[in-house]
Formats: sequence, C-alpha cells, structure tokens
Amino acid sequence: MDQQRERFTPMKSYVPFRGLFDPCPPIGEKYYSTPPNLYVGFQSPNLEQFTPQEALRKGTLWKVFYDYYDNPYKRGGDSGHG
Amino acid sequence: MANTMPIEYYQQLEEIQAVDFVIDELVLYLDTHPTDQNAIQQYNHFALYSKQIKQKFEESYGPLQKGSVNIRQDYWAWSGPWPWQV
Repeated sequence: MDQQRERFTPMKSYVPFRGLFDPCPPIGEKYYSTPPNLYVGFQSPNLEQFTPQEALRKGTLWKVFYDYYDNPYKRGGDSGHG
Repeated sequence: MANTMPIEYYQQLEEIQAVDFVIDELVLYLDTHPTDQNAIQQYNHFALYSKQIKQKFEESYGPLQKGSVNIRQDYWAWSGPWPWQV
C-alpha cells in the first residue's frame, strides 16, 4: 500500500496576498506542515515499527508516521514546495 | 564536587521511558483497532516488561511514583533526586 502512494511533501507553502497600500513589510512565503497521518488514513495493522529507544526519540512507534521538522524560516526559506 | 547518580540509573530510566512510550502508542492504536491480536500481544509483552524493569529500578533507587512500595522498613524512602533534578 505504501509503495503505490506517491511521495507527498511534509511541508507546503503559500504566498499571502499583499495589497498595494499594505503598511506592513511583506511576509513573503508562509509554510505549513503536512504530516504523514494526513495521507495514511485509517492505520493498517502490522506496519513497520521503530525500536523502543528509537521510537522514544522519533516521537512515533511506526515508521510511516515519522515527520522530521526542519524550520523552513531558518533554512533560508527554500523548503519542499507543495 | 558533583553529586550525580550512577550511569545505570540513567540507563534504566531511559529504558523505562522507552517502554512506557511504546505502551502509550499501543494504547492509542488499540483504542481504534481492538481486534488487532498482534498489537495486543505486543502490548501485553511490553506491559509485563515495564512492570519488571520498574520493580528492578525501585529496588535499587527508590520509589518511582506515588503508591510505589517503600523498600526500606525503617525510613520513608522519598528522597532526591527529584524528577526535575534528574
């Protein structure tokens, strides 16, 4: 089931509208996280798991749900565009 | 002069944390998949294992939580390091 699923992007972004007379400085690009659980739907049994120690550090027991967060605002702003 | 606990203290504590995390994950999973026998089997395995390692930890380092058995008969064993000092 996992293989056919096309790779999704864990982070997406959009550029908010900015009017001509907007006094505030432009925000530029805003990002939002789209973790795997949005795409997996109802969890199927017997998914591959991390070891307990690894799971504790990764924040999830099942490998499919692991979602590494890398702050796009700090990383020069060019993250995986949705 | 640092007053810290032996390395085993931290190793056992980490083991307990990892096992309890797996238990929490499986509890959430089993709430929505009550008929998944493999998960139930894994949950029972970890639940038993968690009891054992907690008992082993408490025998050497004192109670882990309220309601733990007080190892020593002559002294109320609630002493440091407190969780925030660990």
